[in-house]
Amino acid sequence: MTMSDIEPTEADVSPPEPALDESQSVALEVDELTKIYPDGTVAVEEISFSISEGDFCVLIGPSGCGKSTTLHSLVGKIPVTEGTIRLGGEDITDEPTYERDIGLVFQDFQLFPHLTVEENIGYGLERLQVDADDRTARVEDMIEMMRLEELVDRHPEELSAGQKQRVALARSMVLKPKLLLLDEPLGDMDYKLQKHMERELLRLHRQLDTTFVYVTHDQTQAMRLADQIVVMNDGKIEQSDSVERVYNDPATAFVSAFVGDSNIFTGELTDVSDDGSYAHIETPLGTFLATTANLRSEPTSLVGERIPFSVRPQYLEVTDELDNSVSCQVEDVIHQPGSGTQVILEATTPEGAAHEIQLKSFDRIDPTGTVDVGWSADHATLLEQTSIVDGIDLETDILGE
Amino acid sequence: MTATAIAIESVTKSFRSETVLRDIQLEVESGEFCVVLGPSGCGKSTLLKCIAGLIESDDGTIALDGRDAADLSVQDRNLGYVFQEFEETLFPHKTVAENIAFGLEQRDDPPTQSEIDETIDEMLTLLAIEETRDDLPGALSGGQQQRVELARQLCRNCEVMLFDDPLADLDYKLQKRMELEMRSLHADLGSTFLYITHNQDQALKLADKLVVMNRGMIEQIGTPETVYHNPKNAFVCRFVGDSNALVTNGKPTEVGDGVVDVQTEVGPMRATAQNGTESETGMLIVRPEAVSLETDDCDVTVTGVLEGRTYTGETTEFAVSLDGTDREFYVVVPDNPEIGAIGDPIDLGWNVDDALYFDELSVTDTVTITDLIEE
Repeated sequence: MTMSDIEPTEADVSPPEPALDESQSVALEVDELTKIYPDGTVAVEEISFSISEGDFCVLIGPSGCGKSTTLHSLVGKIPVTEGTIRLGGEDITDEPTYERDIGLVFQDFQLFPHLTVEENIGYGLERLQVDADDRTARVEDMIEMMRLEELVDRHPEELSAGQKQRVALARSMVLKPKLLLLDEPLGDMDYKLQKHMERELLRLHRQLDTTFVYVTHDQTQAMRLADQIVVMNDGKIEQSDSVERVYNDPATAFVSAFVGDSNIFTGELTDVSDDGSYAHIETPLGTFLATTANLRSEPTSLVGERIPFSVRPQYLEVTDELDNSVSCQVEDVIHQPGSGTQVILEATTPEGAAHEIQLKSFDRIDPTGTVDVGWSADHATLLEQTSIVDGIDLETDILGE
Repeated sequence: MTATAIAIESVTKSFRSETVLRDIQLEVESGEFCVVLGPSGCGKSTLLKCIAGLIESDDGTIALDGRDAADLSVQDRNLGYVFQEFEETLFPHKTVAENIAFGLEQRDDPPTQSEIDETIDEMLTLLAIEETRDDLPGALSGGQQQRVELARQLCRNCEVMLFDDPLADLDYKLQKRMELEMRSLHADLGSTFLYITHNQDQALKLADKLVVMNRGMIEQIGTPETVYHNPKNAFVCRFVGDSNALVTNGKPTEVGDGVVDVQTEVGPMRATAQNGTESETGMLIVRPEAVSLETDDCDVTVTGVLEGRTYTGETTEFAVSLDGTDREFYVVVPDNPEIGAIGDPIDLGWNVDDALYFDELSVTDTVTITDLIEE
């Protein structure tokens, strides 16, 4: 087949949304931040990102990626080695913690156990010696806003997890911070409760209209909560973008594999269509057509290079009528009531190497035996960069465990 | 092996004045993957310990492969048992291979050294941890240690394997990977798995037979499909899978064919009665994926205000406020449709079949409506 024969099937791809809304003003700006600990460990290296006013930003990455160091630098708990942090346009890099206008919500919320709900909320204002009338008024406003009216005299041990979360947010928000940092507050909860708390947190965020920065290692939680995701890896930022872009237009193979599920194929980019929109990738499983829409380089400059591409499981179908298809053996079919079917497949190269492929359908399907699995070229996302970090290997570091 | 691997008959257990298991009846068929799902404190761990012989029940019988377990010591029950806190069960000074070999050497008819080596290799390959063979447990990641413990228990070749939430502490990606491995291990080994967890998502993926427990009692036993689509009561419907609940007020009016009219917080609504029509207050439940944003062909429609929108890559969840309740209503749809801006009015609809009206909340008599609408 030559490139001029290629007529990709119409795929239902929504155009990528703008990375971040330019009209929103910037709340937080981190510029070339570096933190080197006294023992020489480089925890974060020249990272830069900014967050728009009122957004919910999630910092995510594997343990040791530098997300906690970043959070501690923002709050002023540790001095930075290099770089600047600006909050609402003001350089706060060297400001002490208490002058930063930043609130902090901890893991498990850490309310004062011996104080009532009302006293917990008023504690910070009292420390700042805000006058009594003003203090009472602000605490009352917060209590009403957080629907805590009936709980004011209770102690933390008498509260449900959802109520504790509301008190913890109220305790921080009563100080009117410009930014609220949340350090894995929902880390240690069971599945059902965690989902409930996430929804509650989103509701409160909308209501409070404050910029949130949330740290977690849980990809699915990040996807559920974020307006903006900052994906970190080994002290660097792999991508800082909207959920849409991180999922559908990942900057690196690391991001594609770390955020959401993906099938990654690797091969040589052999040729590019006349208009530059599509490329052929020759893999051990066959030659596949992929869109070049997300490439950062000129597609023709990559001819002859090994470039992986990824296809999200939901874009695979049991069919041979799309741009690409591969014959697979069905290994397992998992019907999950309420969310569809997950199919685990295995494709085998002519040399006999097995390659696992996952397919997700929102409908109930029941494939068996050997089937053709297909996907459109527009859903095959080329990943020209493996990772922002040097020396990361796709096979061993990303696709292996 | 008889067709029934585990038969539990009228088992009851109290610790001091607190009843933790109440009249438990459960049969697990040979070769079945049975998952017991329930909130923490529901009694599922106690039940597992009674089966293993680590706790003695007060009343009732447990039969293993047709034999009364009361006559069998813990060793003679010949059960594999994987705990959640697996780190503490491995020998820290033995290598991975030695740890696995220990399980084999403990058998009544211990295999030869070459058979042991062969089995270890098979297990390590099956669980994709070949490279850890000569490492000490301390050098392994949590997920690897967990798989070593799994290998050690699986090697014992027990007909029945008990699992106490073994994947709970693993990170998300590894948990998803191990769920698939548990399914394929079960298919390959053909042994009976009894698995307890508090994770609904995992339970629905793994189970042939799903047992929902609550407050020491069994609420429902069925396939994941049955439990999800035909929940016996409001507790099961709320606990298994995601749901929107509306509180109803006044006795439902029967329209025929199980269809009823009920008065909810957000107005009168038509629904399908699931378990009676006698109560003055009940609950109407609609799954988020059963709600449609195209309301033309829907039996029931409501108008709300779009409050929030959460796109997660695979699906989008819309949070909608309705007049009459301060709890948000959730709608989940595939992909990422454009349906207007936050603050806009939005029409929701669903079919009467998907509006589940529950008269009874739970088989326990202590569950209240408040318990089911607040977490």
